[in-house]
This record gives sequence, structure tokens and C-alpha cells, in this order.
Amino acid sequence: MDIGRPKRIIEIEPVSLPLPGEAAPAEPTPAYQPDAEPEPAAPDRR
Amino acid sequence: MSRPASTLGNLDVHVSAEPIVAWRAWALTGHHDGTGLLLRPVAKRARTWRPREVVEASCRASRWHEAPEPDCTCGLHGTHGIEVLRKTRCPAVLGRVALWGRVIEHEHGYRARFAYPQRLRLLCQFCFWKSGARRPPPEHVGWFPHGELIPLCGEHLQIAERHGVSPRWLLPAADVEQRLRDTYAVDALAV
Repeated sequence: MDIGRPKRIIEIEPVSLPLPGEAAPAEPTPAYQPDAEPEPAAPDRR
Repeated sequence: MSRPASTLGNLDVHVSAEPIVAWRAWALTGHHDGTGLLLRPVAKRARTWRPREVVEASCRASRWHEAPEPDCTCGLHGTHGIEVLRKTRCPAVLGRVALWGRVIEHEHGYRARFAYPQRLRLLCQFCFWKSGARRPPPEHVGWFPHGELIPLCGEHLQIAERHGVSPRWLLPAADVEQRLRDTYAVDALAV
């Protein structure tokens, strides 16, 4: 396979293994519930 | 791209933080039941690309320089476009490959120090040679002696068998392709 003449050199920093299917799972975030009732306050036991 | 940071020989040297993504074709080997799949450079005697490991180039012509060397042909190759790959010998898999480390850009492609595939699909090599990559995917994968796996469309499987070239085993291409992507943890190539 002929890829022709060299044109330039690119120095690219070492990267971690780019595995497209293995992205780290994101932390689950609670669903946004604009109309949700506020959590009841804990009873004052004093 | 930014202004060159320096020069090496008569080539400008640029610095980048992002891997280059290029086109590449591979041969494919494996067991007759479709397990043990390995991408293999189309050049004979070249080392297989081990799944989930960065591939590092070395030069077979000289132990005295690191690949890729500007005045050599060593390094892990990728191309700017698909058409150049239609001239390769026995391509079984077409894909996108990430290249990094020292990368030498050529008129039609690259030679790199490090590489790993990003997206893969199987090819009927006869359809690819004849008409390019925009053909329906192959339906079969033939297993031949020495573990060579050759994806074939129905038409070219029939032609091969008429000429006495019959695979020892025949596997469904969709299953082999899915297993290949799982093995290398990569995505499907939509071409």
C-alpha cells in the first residue's frame, strides 16, 4: 500500500487506551422532579 | 494545526493532544467455531493486534531506530480515505483506527508509533476490490486452513465453491462481527 511521500511529523501525547465501548460509568444522578413534595422534616425528639 | 514546534530531517514537527483517527484494513484469524478472533495486518508475518492492548510499532528492517522513522516505511499504517485500501491484499475487516505517539503524515495516510481500532466491520474482499465499501455486508465467514477467516457475500461464496475453493467451516457473518467488536471493545462501523 502506497501512502505517498511524508509531509510532516505530529507528536501526540501518550493517551490511555481509547476503548470506545468501555467508558467509565457515570455516577447516577437523581431524576429532576420539579413538582415533588419536599421531604418531611424528621420529628423533633427533644 | 499550529505552527511547527521544530523540524526533524526536512519535516516540520507539530505537537497535538488528540489522537488521529484514520482508515485501516486487516486480515482476520480465529478458530473454526468463531472464537479466538484476532486482527492481523494484511502484510504477511506481521504481528497480530491483541485485543484491549495498545499496539506499538517496531521496525523489522532495523533495530537501531524507533518506529516510525521518517526515512523508513515502518510504523502502524492508516489512510486518509478508503479507496487506497482497495489495493490491499486480502482485506477482511475495515475500520477506523486511533493513532498517536509519533505520527508521520504522508500524502495519503499516516505511520504511527501507537494504535488501537475504534470501529470495525467485516468486508467481502471481492466486493471491496470491485465496488468499494458501500456494498451490503457479507453474509458468511469462511474458515480456511491456518485459521484464516474470509468474509464473503452469497454471490462470491458461490463463485469460490464453483472454483473448488470451499471453506472448511462456514459461520454467520453477523455473529462473527459482533464477537469481533466485543473482543476489541469497539463500535460498529457504519459505511
